[in-house]
Amino acid sequence: MRAEPTRSDSPTLPLLEVRGLRKTLGGKLVVDGVDLTCHGGEVIGLLGPNGAGKTTSLRMCYGFLRPDAGSIRIAGHDLATDGDRARRSLGVCTQDDTFDSDFTVRGNLEQTACYYRPGIEGLPARIDSLLDQFGLREYAKSKPTTLSGGFKRRLMIARAVVHGPKVVFLDEPTTGLDPQARRAVWELVSQLRAVGLAVVLTTHYMDEAERLSDRLVLLQAGRVRATGTTRELLGALVGEHIVVVPNNHKGAEHVPGWLKERGLTSSSVLDEWHLALDAGGLAAFVAAFPHLRYEVRPPTLDDLFMALEREDLP
Amino acid sequence: MSSNFFLAAFHWQSRAVVLRHLKVHLRNWYTAALPPVCEPLVMLLAFGVGLGGQISELRWHGSQIGYLAYLAPGILAYTVFMTAFFQSLFSAYMRMHYQKSWEGQLTTQVRLEHVVWGEALWSATLATSYAVIVCLVLLCFSLMGSLNLHWGWLPLAVPLLFLSALAFSAVGLLFTATLPSIDHMSLPIFLVILPVGFSSSTYFPLPDRPWLNVLANANPLHHLSEGLRFLLLRGELTWHLAAAAILCLLLLLVLLPQDLRLLRKRVFGDS
Repeated sequence: MRAEPTRSDSPTLPLLEVRGLRKTLGGKLVVDGVDLTCHGGEVIGLLGPNGAGKTTSLRMCYGFLRPDAGSIRIAGHDLATDGDRARRSLGVCTQDDTFDSDFTVRGNLEQTACYYRPGIEGLPARIDSLLDQFGLREYAKSKPTTLSGGFKRRLMIARAVVHGPKVVFLDEPTTGLDPQARRAVWELVSQLRAVGLAVVLTTHYMDEAERLSDRLVLLQAGRVRATGTTRELLGALVGEHIVVVPNNHKGAEHVPGWLKERGLTSSSVLDEWHLALDAGGLAAFVAAFPHLRYEVRPPTLDDLFMALEREDLP
Repeated sequence: MSSNFFLAAFHWQSRAVVLRHLKVHLRNWYTAALPPVCEPLVMLLAFGVGLGGQISELRWHGSQIGYLAYLAPGILAYTVFMTAFFQSLFSAYMRMHYQKSWEGQLTTQVRLEHVVWGEALWSATLATSYAVIVCLVLLCFSLMGSLNLHWGWLPLAVPLLFLSALAFSAVGLLFTATLPSIDHMSLPIFLVILPVGFSSSTYFPLPDRPWLNVLANANPLHHLSEGLRFLLLRGELTWHLAAAAILCLLLLLVLLPQDLRLLRKRVFGDS
């Protein structure tokens, strides 16, 4: 990837630095004091339930929306006061396919490059290299509308990096893709990390967030609720173990009462209850229900979302 | 915001957007060139020769002229109006809403003010180039002896045609910003094209009615048609050209910043 030397090339300084981001849309405070940092070679996953402020935060970071308060620095350039340089250093893969359907795959990369100054040195060679890297070589002369969903996403990501940015924003890059295409996109994201880009992604797929992200930032009601690795977040917000109890089994009718006595709650998923318990709680549960059939598994980000959902309930 | 916004017309990003449209247009030049050639040809033949043959001559500012001669400058003005308006309305709407190519541009160093200027400048460039093609068609009629126009003045009119097209594209972009869906595309036809077109003396001299005079005097297309008519038929520079320039400049200064404000809300959901 192309890199222009700036002070932010230092490995200790973050390539993305967001401080106190605030935004009101339609009279509603959507983002309320969000801080984010992302270093080169790092992938951070922005997570949160619908309406948590992920997309609004991301759209402010890549200049679509103007923050009411707060600052955004991309590779050391302030987006508000040094917008052109900041935008030169960032790449965006939007959730929708926003390639230019009047151009071929190759034409899209060439045309996108026309929207950047300073221009890209050795552009034809760079485009060739991207076509190979993203597996788009055989479709170079095709219109993007003829590509499958997975290859459209590849093109979108290739467009996002054609100018050699330092920070890349990927907004739900695998939504709607089949498992094989999703894995191909994961590979590409790993490649972006490997070449030292700072990558910020939003996703609804918990396995994707867990696999790709070095660090997760959990948003809830427009605020950063927690930051850390997957395990750190799960340990702090969910618990150590998830006990899955089929609610139609004999003896299961006593579980809600047992939970109530301890001030605990559960999530209901179809005909199952999902109980988040620490080691002591699990031991007590085992002792209280010796004849009940249940499954114990480690918590996932799905459990985290369900826990947040319970918090939101009145 | 306003002074910065008007300066954005000269930024490289606005040119990049115009060049993008030009690239796409030139790739389809053989089909793209058909409307500006065929439309005036059909209009001149159908109305000028066909209808003109029936009514022979009409009275215009104290002199008798053939209908074809009356129609020719009007078609020139109307081409600029229609091309700029439709390009900034229909084509821009398609790019914004269906193709999402605006959003693709906005993820780069191009900002919304550049996209808006790019659309307006492209519409004006295309409309002016179509007007030049219409002039070539009119020249053919002149060479055949059907028209007698003062061609020497025409280069003077080109900057005014461009300015007018820019103003009409600002009107088109206003609808691009506000139309709820493509199903409402007929609204600007009823609200703008028909009233502006029929109160413009493009196809026929307006009857002398006080209320119609007020409408016509506020209509830049009327002044453009009349101004071009005096210029091409009599070789006279009249106040109509100045009036067209002033009205178009006003439209541009008032509407284009509003277009940006409304489009910001539409594209980004941000006021």
